[in-house]
Amino acid sequence: MTSLLSQAADYFPMLVRKPAPRFVSESGARVHGIVAEFTEVPAVFHAAEHVRDAGYSKWDVHTPFPIHDMESAMGIKTTKLPLMAGGAAITGVLTAIVLQWGTSDILYPMVVQGKPYDAWEPFVPIMFELGVLFTAFMCLFGMLALNGLPRFHHPLFSHERFLKVSDDRFIIAIEADDPKFDPVQTRALLEKAGGTHIALIEDAE
Amino acid sequence: MSQFAAKANKPAPVQTAISDEAWAKRLSTIANDARMHEDNINLSSRSAAKVGRAMLVVALVFLLVSAVGAFSISFGHALAGIEIGVFTVLAVALGSLFWVMVFHALNAGWSITIRRQLENMASLVWIPALILVVIAIVEVASNGVLLEWLDPSVREGNHLIEAKAAYLNGPFFVVRVIVYAIIWVVLSNRLRAWSIKTDETGDRSYGRKARFFASFGIPFFALSLTFCAFDFLMSLDYRFFSTMWGVYYFASCALGAMSAIVLVTALLRTAGRLQGLVTEEHYHDMGKLMFGFTVFWAYISFSQYFLIWYSNIPEETMWFTARKELGWNWLFMVMCIGHFIAPFLILIFRGIKRNPKILAFMGVYMLVMIALDMAWIILPMVTIGEAKALDVPGLVIYAAGALGIIFLFGWFVSMKVTKSPLIPTKDPLLHEAMKHKNYV
Repeated sequence: MTSLLSQAADYFPMLVRKPAPRFVSESGARVHGIVAEFTEVPAVFHAAEHVRDAGYSKWDVHTPFPIHDMESAMGIKTTKLPLMAGGAAITGVLTAIVLQWGTSDILYPMVVQGKPYDAWEPFVPIMFELGVLFTAFMCLFGMLALNGLPRFHHPLFSHERFLKVSDDRFIIAIEADDPKFDPVQTRALLEKAGGTHIALIEDAE
Repeated sequence: MSQFAAKANKPAPVQTAISDEAWAKRLSTIANDARMHEDNINLSSRSAAKVGRAMLVVALVFLLVSAVGAFSISFGHALAGIEIGVFTVLAVALGSLFWVMVFHALNAGWSITIRRQLENMASLVWIPALILVVIAIVEVASNGVLLEWLDPSVREGNHLIEAKAAYLNGPFFVVRVIVYAIIWVVLSNRLRAWSIKTDETGDRSYGRKARFFASFGIPFFALSLTFCAFDFLMSLDYRFFSTMWGVYYFASCALGAMSAIVLVTALLRTAGRLQGLVTEEHYHDMGKLMFGFTVFWAYISFSQYFLIWYSNIPEETMWFTARKELGWNWLFMVMCIGHFIAPFLILIFRGIKRNPKILAFMGVYMLVMIALDMAWIILPMVTIGEAKALDVPGLVIYAAGALGIIFLFGWFVSMKVTKSPLIPTKDPLLHEAMKHKNYV
């Protein structure tokens, strides 16, 4: 339930009262998390493995381009999206079956070109199309729901150096919401993993 | 002016992606790779005979049964059984040729380690092609065994055949089949020969030659396959026509070759070969292609059926009524469920595509389904005049002919595998296949 609420908060922040911040910066603002910079792919790859092994769950790696196998270095599990899409496909096909047989065979039997009422042949394209339509919608909106997009702003954008992530830097960001987060230890972990320009990010309200 | 002339006369330098030194270095890296050990990429004829000899014995027994049936019961029924087998193995051989040409034309890297086995099966296309030439000559000589339109008494005053006589006539039929056979044999043998020459010499220019040759071979392949399917399968009923027919048979080709290559590489892995060269990553991709062409087959065959059902034109619908109403409806259901719904629901799972053993089982299953698809095309036209669709002696003759040819082809494949290394050992893109990985 709480996770559902926190996901809803991504879309409708005005509906949910945020819990009291766990960590507050010297200026009194909520702490979003800690970022660390890396300049090379192997460095950020191994640093990600360190963070994964330290047991963090709410964190991300930001890179200018996709890095193969990063998901295993970060310990990301396979997405549930295929199952959701499969469920949507079955729903779509069943919808087509019910709507077509229900209307043209049971509710309003009507002779069309002398074909049988319950002929399955003309229903197949609709079954296929609705299956594809529902699957496509589930893929798109399920993806958005799972990754919390679209959103208007992200606290990381307030960090000037973060913008380099679309150019020549690799950045690991660990969120303060993570149960293992600790301002001192997390910073030490990132330092040990080889991160530079480690900074605390404030969540400007 | 003289400057320009000098420039124009200069021969264009041969463009290569990497320098000769880099190429030599890459070759030596590959040659020193532990996976390229002699035992891993070669199969002795002794080991191949374990599977091969059993297949030969089974094939000879089945063909003997088929021959006995031909002379004691019905020549036509035996020929129908043989044709089911021939078109199943032709699908495998032509599909292999298709994949080899597509991989060459698209410069595919991941598939290099499975390409030699595809080349082997493609170069065996001469077996079904030769049988088809013999069948064509026998059909013409005996005034049509399965092909009714060759019968002069049927042709007499038949307006439909007269209208199609420019195409549907005996001599042109035999000439066409010989032309198809030449196209297939030339395409497959050239591509395999260049691949083996690359192994022997390390000359990477053969890959470029093959790419050029394959790209221009694809239209010839497509047309010959389509018209061969017209000649032997669609013209079983000379009244019937479907513009989808060539694609319908091609769907079986692409699917059959993928199923067969999964089976062959899985058997080689069980024999301790191709370790680390054909990995679960390759099976994942081969499984995707199997899945894709299962859906493609369903899409094509349903489209064909759907349009014929809807438009309801007598000379088209009778193809389906002859099957569905005269005792072959069960085979229609087997095709719907067994050739599409079941494999769709099985092959959709990632774990199954990444498991070589289960995928090899699915390969065998799909080959059986392709043979049954050929039976669905051929058999009803043989039994159309008979009261009962299927009796036990008939079933034995069909099964014996089909399985005899399929196992005979299997024996030839097992012999061919031993003739060369199991993978192209010096292919310019081999390093890509050796580190192939699916990042999904």
